[in-house]
Amino acid sequence: MKDWFVELFGNPTGTIIFQILDASQLTLYLSLIAFIGGGSLALVLTIMRVAPMRWMRSVSKAYVWWFQSVPLLMLLFLCGLGVPHLFDIQVSPWAAASVALILFTSAYMSEVWRGAVESVGQGQWEAGYALNLSFLETLRKIIFPQAVKYGLAPTVGFMVQIIKGTSLAYIIGFQDLMLIGKRWANAPVPGSEPFIIFPLMAVMYFSICYPLALYARHLEAKAIQRT
Amino acid sequence: MTELRFFEIYRSPEYLDLLVSGAATSAGLTLAGGMLGFIFAFLLASIRFWKVPVLNILAAAYVDFIRNTPLIVQLFFIAFGLPLLLGYVWPFWAHALLALTINFSGYFAEILRSGFASTAKGQLEAAAALNLSKFTLFKSIILPQTLIKMYPSLSSQFVFLFLTTGVISEIGVGDLTHAGIFIESRSFRSFEVFMTLTLIYIAMALSFKGLMQLLFNMTLGRRA
Repeated sequence: MKDWFVELFGNPTGTIIFQILDASQLTLYLSLIAFIGGGSLALVLTIMRVAPMRWMRSVSKAYVWWFQSVPLLMLLFLCGLGVPHLFDIQVSPWAAASVALILFTSAYMSEVWRGAVESVGQGQWEAGYALNLSFLETLRKIIFPQAVKYGLAPTVGFMVQIIKGTSLAYIIGFQDLMLIGKRWANAPVPGSEPFIIFPLMAVMYFSICYPLALYARHLEAKAIQRT
Repeated sequence: MTELRFFEIYRSPEYLDLLVSGAATSAGLTLAGGMLGFIFAFLLASIRFWKVPVLNILAAAYVDFIRNTPLIVQLFFIAFGLPLLLGYVWPFWAHALLALTINFSGYFAEILRSGFASTAKGQLEAAAALNLSKFTLFKSIILPQTLIKMYPSLSSQFVFLFLTTGVISEIGVGDLTHAGIFIESRSFRSFEVFMTLTLIYIAMALSFKGLMQLLFNMTLGRRA
């Protein structure tokens, strides 16, 4: 693969493009981990947020408030340096970056989903009650299917935030796009100057994020049309 | 588990001094970047509202590009790429201010654009009936209505963007994060340092939120 790029673009441009493409895989994996992990956690938080038990609502609310208020960079530092130091343990950059991004994602995503659930009319809850459905059954069979149309567009839109968020993981030593790019930009090799590398990386991120942004816009337009 | 020792940070005047000046730098650059970014965003959104030929497309592309690339890449290009390409030398903070202005402007412009578009619906006919020019309509009806309607979004976006400004420490600006990293490297009290930093960031974010509310009450709130 690498030789093919070198043949096509010459050196060092071919090598740089290959390495950046290669490293963008890790960016995608990390984003996927954050999305799946954060999404699962967000689902639990959303259910807790509308649960009949008051303490559940309070816990969920406090969690979301805290992790929406903490800057992502601080979350990364705390997961990558702070907590490992405190407990005297070794944590790999992979684990630290994943945990930080999952916490970040879960808070924002559950806020999006809470909005979607609350957009479903109160009467639907009463319908569930009238049918003698339990709280979870009402959610699963009545509320969630209707909430999807409100929540889908902002969820896809938030994925862009996750991908952009992964660009900070290199600060705690995660070997992704950013670290490779920064290394090349610092290397005294002609053809890898910062004014070439960073636009290249911006294009890389853009080509991952923009299709998602467009898709979110499309979903939103469709949702507005339907109502 | 090692013992928590927050006092090691708090009893050192040097560290406290660093934290205070770091917080001031963060706040100053955020406010300046926010204001300049808002002015630029207003220009961009107006270009899109008036559908100025050519510029309209450029403004749309600019906003999409800024919103779909990470701040840190924009920052590195502005701090390391541009000066090398064009051969100028600026202090670190100036690069940071430029990057924040550009970054903020993209997000604000999108909020203003959608605000203008949604306010204008239906108002155009009303204005035609009253024989108002499109400019008068924009200035005295659409603009104030949009600002009032979009103020909560603009304000929460501003606070959210403030929480991302820590990356400017990566180009050597002595902001709050920079102070924290320095103290951490000296004291090795990682958890305590970053927890303290987090709390300062949250306190500042809440203050910004309050400040924006105050600004609203003093200006637009009177009209609403």
